[in-house]
Amino acid sequence: MLRGLFEFVDALPSSVSLRESLNGYVYLLTAHVVSMGLVAGIIGYWDMRLAGMALKWVPVSKVKSGLFPWMTAGVVVNAATGILMVYSQPMRYYPNFWFWLKMGMLVVVAANAAYFHYSIEKTVEEWENDPVAPFKARLAGYVSLIFWFGIIATGRMTAYSGLVPQWWIDLELG
Amino acid sequence: MSLQPFFEWMGGLRFSAFFLESVWPTPIIQCIHLAAVAVFAGAVLMVDLRLLGKGLKDTPLPRLARTAEPFLIGSFVVLVLTGIPQMASTALKQYYSPFFWWKMEMVLIAVILTVTVRRKLASTDESQLGPVLPKVVALCSIALWTSVTIGARLIGLLS
Repeated sequence: MLRGLFEFVDALPSSVSLRESLNGYVYLLTAHVVSMGLVAGIIGYWDMRLAGMALKWVPVSKVKSGLFPWMTAGVVVNAATGILMVYSQPMRYYPNFWFWLKMGMLVVVAANAAYFHYSIEKTVEEWENDPVAPFKARLAGYVSLIFWFGIIATGRMTAYSGLVPQWWIDLELG
Repeated sequence: MSLQPFFEWMGGLRFSAFFLESVWPTPIIQCIHLAAVAVFAGAVLMVDLRLLGKGLKDTPLPRLARTAEPFLIGSFVVLVLTGIPQMASTALKQYYSPFFWWKMEMVLIAVILTVTVRRKLASTDESQLGPVLPKVVALCSIALWTSVTIGARLIGLLS
């Protein structure tokens, strides 16, 4: 079913024209990397604040209110350029091991952020001035840091589509 | 004086051959390089946004700059260390790429700006700073480091 969707997009005229444009991919990937710096740069320090590794003297809610609007702007560009790259070359990404691993990690960081938001962040006023946050918040920070590193790494590895486990090659998705 | 002999020498090193001939070392250092870009970008932005009167605007600027500095320097060291093997193993490609020289010129100017004017501004009590200079310096810093990133990406895409 998923393959059908990717093949459907692959045949769309807009996908074909973006795929065949001379510099479309160059612009998209370059904007994707620059906006990654904005997104991962800010999330990294938010996570390090939660994990007790940086900005320990800044109240947690101040880090969020000061930096998240900028991060959101970065997320918009980052997601748009990422989606457009997949849209323009769906059958390049569909059989790519690193692409799917990256998507899986994005699900993990989203779930982690949602869990943090609906659990320990509810009581943020009680601990936001503590240099070291409660265990649950630190854990959310560490999980996010590790998986964001993974997202960056698997994003880079997408270019190495042949450098994957044998069992993945055996699936013959390509 | 041409730097071509130096790049030819670099490309001929055993060290460069190792990275060209082995499978995993290059992608691994590329991943670390990119993660260091994120840490570096965050450290730069935190202070530049603050200089613009945005971001963590309720925090004292000198203290914020002191907090960012170890991350700024640490990630820069990682960027250089992971950049060297990538440059050496593809030395002549880099030498002939206009984007490589663009990137290095931008790095040079950005580093000079960062360790001189920006560092001085960020360690000064804000009441003594005018309204314009910190914003100009912050915008220059963001523009320069962004152009470093663009140049870097284009070495791989268009060279």
